Parts: sequence; C-alpha cells; structure tokens
Amino acid sequence: MNLKDLSLIDLAKAIKERKISSYDATKYYIEKCKENAHLNAILEIYDDALENAKIMDEKIANGFEGKLAGVPVVIKDNILYKGKIASCSSKFLENYVAQYNADVVTKMLDAGAVIIGRANMDEFAMGSSTENSAFGITKNALDESRVPGGSSGGSACAVAAGMCPVALGTDTGGSIRQPSSYNGVVGIKPTYGRVSRYGVVAFASSIEQVGPITKNVKDNAYMLEVLSGGSEHDETSLKMDSCNFLLQIKGDIKGLKVGVLKEIEDAVKGLEVEKAYNDAKEFLANNGAQIIETSIPDFKLALPCYYIIAPAEATSNLGRFDGVKYSKRSQNAKDVDEIYIKSRSEGFGKEVKRRIMLGNFVLSSGYFDAYYNKAKKLQQKLKNEAKTVFEKCDVFILPTTTGEAFKIGEKMGDPVSMYKEDLFTILTNILGTPSISIPFGKGKNGLPLGLQIIADNLNEGVIYNVADFIEQNLREV
Amino acid sequence: MSKTKITIEEVKRLADLSALEFTDEELASFIPEFENILHLVDEVKNCDVGDGQIDYPKHLLCSLRDDQVKESLPQEEILKNSPKTKKGSFCVPKMLD
Repeated sequence: MNLKDLSLIDLAKAIKERKISSYDATKYYIEKCKENAHLNAILEIYDDALENAKIMDEKIANGFEGKLAGVPVVIKDNILYKGKIASCSSKFLENYVAQYNADVVTKMLDAGAVIIGRANMDEFAMGSSTENSAFGITKNALDESRVPGGSSGGSACAVAAGMCPVALGTDTGGSIRQPSSYNGVVGIKPTYGRVSRYGVVAFASSIEQVGPITKNVKDNAYMLEVLSGGSEHDETSLKMDSCNFLLQIKGDIKGLKVGVLKEIEDAVKGLEVEKAYNDAKEFLANNGAQIIETSIPDFKLALPCYYIIAPAEATSNLGRFDGVKYSKRSQNAKDVDEIYIKSRSEGFGKEVKRRIMLGNFVLSSGYFDAYYNKAKKLQQKLKNEAKTVFEKCDVFILPTTTGEAFKIGEKMGDPVSMYKEDLFTILTNILGTPSISIPFGKGKNGLPLGLQIIADNLNEGVIYNVADFIEQNLREV
Repeated sequence: MSKTKITIEEVKRLADLSALEFTDEELASFIPEFENILHLVDEVKNCDVGDGQIDYPKHLLCSLRDDQVKESLPQEEILKNSPKTKKGSFCVPKMLD
C-alpha cells in the first residue's frame, strides 16, 4: 500500500480493516523521519514505537476500535509523554523525563495512537522560526534555505515532509498556524479551553492551546475530535464533551456571512500576501458567501497587547525552573542563590531570557498598571469589538502571515521584526476564539501562503466547513 | 510617540528580579533591544480602553474540586528529575551555618 498520499482518515481506516498493519505504517513513517533527518524536525524517534505498534496490531486483531488505532503520531517537545524526554528544545530540560502523560497524550493513546517521536520547536515555544531551539534549526520542508516558522516548526515540517500523518503543536501567538502556513499544511488553534493543557509545559497559560497539524482539513477535524474535551486536571478547560466535527462539514457555503476587517484592507497593502487575501474574498463571494465589511478597530493593538501578557505569564511560569527540582543545575554554583541564578543563566537561551526580562519589566512596581493592567483591559476591549463582528458574521478571514517563509537567519538579529511576524495570528489568542490556517495561494517564489478562518468560541465546526470547502474547490479560482 | 528610555541600572534590576546574570556587554546590548520592544508595547500604554472593565470567564470562578484523597505520584518518581537528592528530599547547599 502506498502510504505517501494517504490521509490520516484513510490510514486509520486501512489499519482498522487490516489492509496494512500498524507495524508497517509505523516503520514506514520512522524511515521517513530518518530519510529527512537533515531537516532536523524530529529530535527523537522513540525506540519503543515499533513495539507499541505490534501491541496495537494484536489489540486490533482482538477487536479494539479506536479512532487512531495503530496510527503513528508525532508530538511537540513540550508535551509530556510518560517515560520520555520532554525538553522544550531547551538545554535546561535536556534530560527531563516526563513522569505522567499530558491529557492530550492520554486521549491519543486511549484512541490507539502510536506516538513515534517528538518534534523540534523554539525553546519553550518562544519564537516564530524554530531558530531558537537549543538543538539546532529546523528547515522548511519545501525550501531548506528557509525557516519552517515557529514555534511548532518541527511538527509542521514533519507533516509537510511526510514523516507522520499528524503532529501536535501548541499555539500561544500563532505557533501552530504560522508554521502550517509556511509548510503548506493545515493547523488549528482551537477555542481556548477546548483542549486540556494538563501536561503541556506552560508558556502563557491564559492564551495557549494544543492543536493538530495535518495534511488536509478533514484529517484536522478528525484529530481535534480525539483531542477535545474537558479535564478535571485543567481548570481552564471547558467542562464539555468532544464532538464530531466532521459531521459539520456540509460541502456548501451558500449564504455564509464572511467578515472582512477594514483594518486588514490597509494592513495587507503592499504585502506579499495581498493578492492571495483578495483572491480568497473573491473565491468566497463567487461561491455564494456573503462578504460583509466589518471592523475590529483596535486590531493592530493585539500585537503589543500580546507582547505584554505573554511575557508576563512566561516570567511567572518559568520561575519554576530553578536547578533544584527538575532542570539542569549549574556546576559553578556554590550556594542556593547561585544555583538559581547560574542554572537559569546557563540553561535558558537568549530569547527566553529576553522574554523573562520583559515580563518582569511589565509586572514590576511602577509599570504594572501602565502595561499589564492596561493590556488586560485592552484584551477585553478587543473581545467586545470581536463580539460585534460575530453578531453580523459567521466567520471572518485574515491572512496567516505577511508572506512566504523567510530565509534562515534573516530576522534573528531583530526581535521586533520577528515579533511582527505574528501580526495576523495573535488576535485570536488574545480573543480566545478558534482559528485555522489553510494553504491559500503562493508567494513570489512559489511557496505557500495561508488563510485564516476565524469563528466565535466553540464554532470550530463552522470553520472546518468553510476550510474544507475551500480545500475541495480552490482549483476553480 | 517618544521612546521609553531604559537605563543600565534598570536592566540590572530586571536581571536581579529574573534571577539571571549577564556580562556587562550583554547588559549593554539589552538596552537598544529593550527600547525597541518597549516602543512596540508602549502603544498599549497610550491607548484608550474605555471604562476598562474585564469580564472573567464564569467557569473559571470558584472552581474548587471536592476535597478527596486521590492517587498521587510516588516520591521517588518526583525526585527522579532532580539534579541532587538525599533521603527523599531535594538537595541544595547548606543555607545556615
């Protein structure tokens, strides 16, 4: 059986019908990981993956039916899988072994998944290019001179290069959607609280979510069903069951009200993504959707708002890494204070230190009201503005990025330029609303661009319907 | 909009708060980087947020679980990732003479 072009859903079906064994599928994808080692997307292939696939084959033979029965999956390196290293691509946690499973891992294992490895990322998920990994840069699956995006760059690259049918990412400011766009794959940031964050190393707890990266939209909907559902371990998760998102894919968008923000009309002018964004509007209108001009007046403030809230939370979350309980200890420390300071200084990379410092600045005496408190109020104002959009529209659209994947090294010396990479993705982290990125159009070098479809909280089904319609019919543009 | 300025003393204070140490060269290089980042985030400082009320999600309020004894990780598991342990405890250098 040719696995190269097989979707996740078709692979799951083929394994279930025993047209292919989990062992053979797992072996195939492990070989692809090895063949593509030069991309540095996968930090570790688990040595028990094939054994676990064999066990799954026996279970399937005995009647086990799970949505991911025998399906190989890759996880981002900040997701805990018991007994395996979860380093967050940091030297500080290089040898940290997970003592329990993240809820998303438990859900995947319960569904029968075979987790085959962990993917590279920006250290502690801080970055937009995967250049901040302590274990080397991941390369773009489509052009090795370019970044794969970040922070889930390893996960997106692995899916795009055919190293796995699905990978998990985490998205705090665009970290699933931006790399998905750069690698020409599909990634969703679900509604905040849709997926449990228990067992995912925290960066900015109030805005981040775990989500799937897949080759196509239906696979993504299928996978999100597995991952969704509240958990007693995560008080911020919504106490509701998962749902079958595939059922909400209708193959029709007639009468759908699609919002376009007037702020975006200005923001995209002259950008590489401008044509693709305009083509998307035209495509949707030509296919029966009603395009409604609307507005989130403070759209542009979402970016600076994020760069206050996220570092403030990161500063607090990363306080636990002290060289005592579970991270590397400096060999040069003579007393307790030195253990903290030297271990952190030697363990964290430059971008992580930068964000910890920024977080302490915005939280410190004299600045708290001016920055953090103001940012939280602005977040509420943005939510109110979005509410008026969703009173008139079923979804609204945004580009995912300003253009194609940029060259490796191009933005490393300029943090603000790197932060601005997240211009279009950050809004929905601040809002908490779900947002998908699907490939739409090409840039000047023929590399993929992305389109985001955003709906109100818990309306992932509507998003998947629109996204699937575009994916199925785009050739007609 | 004028740029927020930051001094080397403030950068040192932030490094102390962050439990991080830097070389003098690194500290100095933080100043222009930080000022650029502050220029970005200062847009928030200067924006109008109206009456500034924040609606916290209702499900996050008062979400205490029942006080039940549940299974926990064994002590030896907890200690496994520590760089130094002794007699079931995390071990650090002597703090008091």
